[in-house]
Amino acid sequence: MLGCFPLYPPLELFHSMGLEPLVLWGMKPFLADTARSDQHLQSFVCSVGRHLTEFVLSKEGALIDGFFMYNACDTLRNLPEILRSGLEERGHRSPILNMHIPMPSLGQTDARQYLSKEIDRLIDQLSDAFGVSFLQSRFESSVALYAQARELARQLETAVTMGRLRFGAFAGLIQGNAFRSVEGQIGAMSSLLSDEGQVVGDRVGNRSAIDIILSGILPPPAGVSDIIEDAGLNVVGNDIASLARSYGYTPGNETWRSPSDYYVDFYYHHHPCPTLLGSSDRRIDTLEALIRERGARGIIFLGEKFCEYEYFEFPYLMKRFKENGIASLLLEFAIDDDENLGPMRTRIEAFAEMLREGDKT
Amino acid sequence: MIHPLKPRSRENLSAIMSRYYEGNHAQAAEGKFVVWIAIIVPTELLKGFDLVVCAPESHSAMCAARKMGAVQCEKAEREGYSTDLCSYARIDLGTFFDEGRGSPTLGLPKPDLMISNNDNCSLLTKWFDVYHREWDVPHFMLDVPFCYRPQQDKDLRYVLAQFGDLIRVLEDMTGQTFDIDRVRQAVHTSNEALTHWMRFLGMAAHRPSGITAFDMFAHMAPYFTWMRGEPEMTAHYRLLAEESEAELAAGNYPVPNEKYRLLWDNIAPWHQLRNMSSRLAEMDANIVYSTYATSIGRIEDRLNFYEWDGSDPLRYLARIQNRGWCCYGMDLRYKAMSEMIERFSIDGLVFASNRSCKVYSVMQMDLKRRLTKDFGIASVMIDVDHADVRKYSEENAFLRLEALLEQIDGGRTS
Repeated sequence: MLGCFPLYPPLELFHSMGLEPLVLWGMKPFLADTARSDQHLQSFVCSVGRHLTEFVLSKEGALIDGFFMYNACDTLRNLPEILRSGLEERGHRSPILNMHIPMPSLGQTDARQYLSKEIDRLIDQLSDAFGVSFLQSRFESSVALYAQARELARQLETAVTMGRLRFGAFAGLIQGNAFRSVEGQIGAMSSLLSDEGQVVGDRVGNRSAIDIILSGILPPPAGVSDIIEDAGLNVVGNDIASLARSYGYTPGNETWRSPSDYYVDFYYHHHPCPTLLGSSDRRIDTLEALIRERGARGIIFLGEKFCEYEYFEFPYLMKRFKENGIASLLLEFAIDDDENLGPMRTRIEAFAEMLREGDKT
Repeated sequence: MIHPLKPRSRENLSAIMSRYYEGNHAQAAEGKFVVWIAIIVPTELLKGFDLVVCAPESHSAMCAARKMGAVQCEKAEREGYSTDLCSYARIDLGTFFDEGRGSPTLGLPKPDLMISNNDNCSLLTKWFDVYHREWDVPHFMLDVPFCYRPQQDKDLRYVLAQFGDLIRVLEDMTGQTFDIDRVRQAVHTSNEALTHWMRFLGMAAHRPSGITAFDMFAHMAPYFTWMRGEPEMTAHYRLLAEESEAELAAGNYPVPNEKYRLLWDNIAPWHQLRNMSSRLAEMDANIVYSTYATSIGRIEDRLNFYEWDGSDPLRYLARIQNRGWCCYGMDLRYKAMSEMIERFSIDGLVFASNRSCKVYSVMQMDLKRRLTKDFGIASVMIDVDHADVRKYSEENAFLRLEALLEQIDGGRTS
């Protein structure tokens, strides 16, 4: 089992080489506290980093055979050595592999060759660390499986959009996929989709609901998803890192012949994300297109406290949407904010009310 | 109490920094091409062009040192920028939103191009992106791989290739032709300046120390501006080294009864330089060295000067992209700090946990544990924010610092 972070590791490659990738993102629902992590990380580290560390240092985390990380934010890039240190204190020695994903846009710097070599180097690292080997045919099969999983996730998103599935149930399933093999993910999502036409999780298609988009690094806690929908807001799309940004894009078969080609396409055409620095400019246009395409009236930004990448972008995005007549709301989630949802409910209901008043006028 | 020394150097520092900031505005007003850079971006490379170059981080540090940090931060916060964001960024954004008001230099001239790098501090790319969108100004990002071990050749070549892209962008935008000879001269000049800087740092080894970390913090300023690669900076560092050596020879020490020799880990608390140095000196404690000051002149785990050998200047600049303390991981930092502890006879470690600089701070808990265990040395962690005084409590910090001195005393008597 290979623990990976941040969000967009080369999963197909790991799977094809006989490893089970586990994306360590948004582990909070699976952990009671951050007692172990607090021995290593200050309180101004985001919940993602603290829970990731907590999980790795837990009894369950000890089952992970190795780790993979690529370059991310200022906090996460420090974690590999902290994790190694924490694991060694517990008597574990696990290989920690890494690679550097080029961050500039293609328009500025053509780093395709560098990225190709990083993928080749990663294959060598995996072989050395785990005694596994690469086979093109297995890679092609793995690509097909992950493409299927992403397609099923998109279909489930459509079910949410059409009111057949509650957003919270959808997000919970996708988050839970972190602990499923890709085959298990396909099974779980297919099963939910086989209830086509039925209401799942007591969601009722509400004709008077107001359509909105959610955007952030993580989906809201389950309780907040319920508040959003109970307030009469219909989530018709998302720009959430562990959801649409993760399942949004898979390279077409015609674009690649080798893993290097595949990941050059994958990372350069990835759904925009503030963590992929060169894609940030595309994020604005992508979000505006999503809003137009889905007919959304508003957008709720889900701020993960201390996530600098997201917080630098919120003010400009909110200003721009305001200029274009799109209402926005910023909710901030700190490490234990889902334990007291009262203020959150008030703000979401006020936002829904404001959108409704806008309808009347 | 602290003995304020090096008067000629302080006076010169003030004069050259004032000239620099005034010069920026004047030259920009004449129509020169203005570039904003992150402080680790190789200014020597930019000397291949005729430019005005400004470093917003340096400007923010100066605002904080002049007690203007919190006021400027609040202006950014009113525009929606979170108080959790780096205070350098908030000061700079606040200055921008208020069109330079509140800044001792009336802000910086508006850029024609911004150049960031992401290995020293990746959030800086986001900070520059704000202007990129607000002003529609191009933003060139040098993508420099973070190092868990000394820089690998593949990464050096990647950085060099980006230097080529940057040169092409500058040629296109300015209409100028890149002059490599000027770059070579700038690298040579910087190299000479750094020999004096390293002489100056070396005086921390004397007991009592000839210098304090607070001297280091103040005199880093010219390096993190366009003065890097200019004879003016070389002259300043020569003056600083000579004046410090003369004071040391004459037996003039900043903390004459120096009893505790401390090592500081993090960016300077710019709003506290005078308070902190004076109060520590009253307790016969001197922060004799800092990891932050070694962002200049050395790389990775090496404590000695990383000198230019006269070969390809661009290759040398690509290699020293790893000179900032934040460009590499814990193992390399551990090795460098281990050597600092031994070479400078350190009695105690001060880890300044800095809310505004996660890349510096996240790992300090493990570093502290490792160094304390391996060297049997006293250590403490205090909460600071490098530029936002609202996030600093002097009493809480000193409560811990006093406890550190007690720990050191305890270790001596046991």
